[in-house]
Amino acid sequence: MKHTLHSVVFGLFLASTAAIADDMPTFRLLMKDGRIFPETLEVPANTRFRLEVKNEGPGATEFESLELKKELVLAPGVTRTTVFAPMKPGTYKFFDDFHPETGQGRIVAK
Amino acid sequence: MGNAFFVVWRESLEAFLIAGILYAWLQGNDSSGKGKRALYIGLAAGVGLALLLGWALLTVQDELTGNALEAFQIGTLLIAAGLITQMVLWMRKNGRQMKARLHADLAAAAEKSGFFGVAVVAALAVAREGAETVIFLYGMSQEGDYSALIGGALAGFAGAGATAWLAAKSLARLNIALLLRLSSILLLVLASALFVSAIDRLIGAGWLPPMLDPVWDTSMLIDDTTKAGKLVADFSGYRARPALTTLLAWAGYWLLVVIGYRRTRP
Repeated sequence: MKHTLHSVVFGLFLASTAAIADDMPTFRLLMKDGRIFPETLEVPANTRFRLEVKNEGPGATEFESLELKKELVLAPGVTRTTVFAPMKPGTYKFFDDFHPETGQGRIVAK
Repeated sequence: MGNAFFVVWRESLEAFLIAGILYAWLQGNDSSGKGKRALYIGLAAGVGLALLLGWALLTVQDELTGNALEAFQIGTLLIAAGLITQMVLWMRKNGRQMKARLHADLAAAAEKSGFFGVAVVAALAVAREGAETVIFLYGMSQEGDYSALIGGALAGFAGAGATAWLAAKSLARLNIALLLRLSSILLLVLASALFVSAIDRLIGAGWLPPMLDPVWDTSMLIDDTTKAGKLVADFSGYRARPALTTLLAWAGYWLLVVIGYRRTRP
């Protein structure tokens, strides 16, 4: 019984380190001059991934998407990362809430 | 300049609206002046908090601190939504008897806690969106675009102040019963929007399962990715493509409010 408990604990430990170990794909997004590069970001569907958003300025930006339920405020020169849960295939719009006229982009999950 | 105006107006409108409604309500219900003092103290504390939070947002880069910041922001959303709701119920209970009670000097303690609530709500309202305004203005100052910064920002603040003043003035014109009811509804809708936004961000951070997502798509009616649609979403909690979890949370919120309303018959 005690042995089983130990192996369960060990298994959990392994599982948790596996979750921490980084096998998540990372995608990069650049915000600059009120625009977003690239405007269309292709990601694998049904896969957890990390997005690294960098604001090269000038001016602050806010990566936002009600559809994706994300909101990241970035001062100029700041890089922030956020993890996305696995997505169904489809197109998801996001925008720069501080530059709504020019900063429009979309994530396409395939 | 036009963009700076719009961003500052939108970001500060919520705080101005909450402050305006509270002011209108206190004007009609509290002649002691203590409530208004609590409101001013709360607003001032909110400005300080906004600067602090803005500074944190400026310096945070790594993912772990980013997550902590996200958790903190979600926390402030939840607390603000809860406190506003509680305050509306408190106002409903105390609205009519308050003057009488003041003379009787009976419920001094209950009143104190109520005014404390007013101060905290005002502070949170300013701090939340204020922090984003701080970042936005900081970014503009980095651009060296001072004329646009000062012009746009001042016009934005003034515009939001005027919008809220207009709302408060038109509310104050109504009779007390109607003022109470309308301002309550406005505040509750705002609180529900904050709550929805907190739930959405919990889902976005992976701390809550979305369940079915989306349940439906009404972006043909009101598209929340447009400028105007986003404004509607920010202030009412509307979502064109809500997740089931968000929908249930929203329905649960209003159910609790209706039950609370029934229980606190004035």
